[in-house]
Amino acid sequence: MLLDYDRMGWLRVALLGFTVLVAAFLLLPVVFIVLLSFGSSRWLAFPPPGWTLKWYGELFADPAWLEAALTSARIATITAMLAVLIGLLASFALVRGHFRGREILRGLLLTPMVLPVVVFAIAIYAFFLRLGLGGTTIGFVVAHTVLALPFAVIPIATALEGFDKSIEDAAIVCGASPLEAKLRITLPSIRIGIFSAAIFSFLASWDEVVVAIFMASPTLQTLPVKIWGSLRSDLSPVIAAASSLLVVLTLALMAVTALLRRKFRT
Amino acid sequence: MPAGFGGLLPALILVTLFFVVPVLALLLRSVTGPEPGFQNYATLLGDGTYARVFFNTFLVASVVTIVTVLVAFPVAWMLAIMPSALASIVFGVIILSMWTNLLTRTYAWMVLLQRTGVINRTLMDIGLISTPLPLINNLTGVTIGMVYIMLPFMILPLVGTLRAIDPMTLRAAALCGASPFDAFCRILLPLSLPGIAAGGLMVFVMSLGYFVTPALLGGTSNMMLAEMIAQMIQSLLNWGLGSAAAFILLVVTMALYALQLRLVGAGRATGGV
Repeated sequence: MLLDYDRMGWLRVALLGFTVLVAAFLLLPVVFIVLLSFGSSRWLAFPPPGWTLKWYGELFADPAWLEAALTSARIATITAMLAVLIGLLASFALVRGHFRGREILRGLLLTPMVLPVVVFAIAIYAFFLRLGLGGTTIGFVVAHTVLALPFAVIPIATALEGFDKSIEDAAIVCGASPLEAKLRITLPSIRIGIFSAAIFSFLASWDEVVVAIFMASPTLQTLPVKIWGSLRSDLSPVIAAASSLLVVLTLALMAVTALLRRKFRT
Repeated sequence: MPAGFGGLLPALILVTLFFVVPVLALLLRSVTGPEPGFQNYATLLGDGTYARVFFNTFLVASVVTIVTVLVAFPVAWMLAIMPSALASIVFGVIILSMWTNLLTRTYAWMVLLQRTGVINRTLMDIGLISTPLPLINNLTGVTIGMVYIMLPFMILPLVGTLRAIDPMTLRAAALCGASPFDAFCRILLPLSLPGIAAGGLMVFVMSLGYFVTPALLGGTSNMMLAEMIAQMIQSLLNWGLGSAAAFILLVVTMALYALQLRLVGAGRATGGV
């Protein structure tokens, strides 16, 4: 009875115990970093000798952190909008189009997700050096959109595959123009896919480190570049404070996702 | 133009111009810089220092893959059959870990694993060790950090594979007298093997080219391939050698990706994101 939860006996106890351990392992660094950010030890002693908000104070006192966060937010927002738009158009073609080589083209669009980022990073770095786009917002957005596109295409194409096209056809039979039918029938029906695409492509840019390290200039750096730089010089608790705010952001994103999914289902 | 092709144009232009062309240009550089020929590849494949980097990379990727599969399988198994209320808590933890900033997670491991870190302190307090273990700036640290990052990528697709197995086949086996151990070895494991192979291959490919975690948790004497490539370009400005190393990484990755596509079929190879 290996797949019957109620009749597994001792095996269930063992597997459940193991699952709890792994969940604890996955949770450990996240909880640890939040606790650490309130600890008073500059040398990251744990458990800390006392509790403090000092590191958050230092974080907000340094305008470079805020500036990096705003740069990241700006680049990730534009990237997500572009990736969703381009990904939406591409998904319609990939799911509904009839042409030779469709699978190959799908594979090509998904390749940036598979190729090691470091290869793409040095390739686009060299390319943008020549075009004079290194260290510019446009350069960042273009490179991140290439990386984010697969994360937009997959959920949208999946949602579109699950949508019954005859409903769209029915709207057209009832007098809607093809564009109107798509905008008012199809898009609302696949909104979970579009929404997932937006979240994933935003995160793909927001969390992106490797391309950003190569692309950044002294005047334009994203939050991961700022964290990377600090990590390489010391393990200051200020990084823990910044990291904790990122954890809060992740939790907020998860909450919004859960809420919207519930709302979309009903 | 064939029907429905137009929508692909923006994506194709973007990917061709800013992905295919730059990567091809890089490839070209590996056989032209500093002078035409294959000397960069000869250097990389003939030198013991570089052989060591390749060996480290394959070693770490293999160990990470094996450990990840072994840890992920029981968890995915439980998640597939657990009451959904309980499962959703575990899924929540997995998503939280996966969506938390990569550098944040790696930073946490840097602090946890250091000489005076919590893990060494705890092990010493309970008397298991008397001197701190070297857990960071070596391949041990890289492996721990990488397994941590790869686990969600293995668990989530495996849950799907295990859920697709009909519990009736196992009940039938039990009725025919199979012991749970037999049923596991001869039914459950073979039926989940495609999922394990696909997920394992994905973890292996991702580990081969991983940059951030090895660069932060690894040591200077045990470099991995991605870090070496970045260093060749960024610090040594040796574009020829760096491009050649990048191209070797590209070929290996793409070959394994093609194998994975054959295993699971296009579109699902990426774990469904």
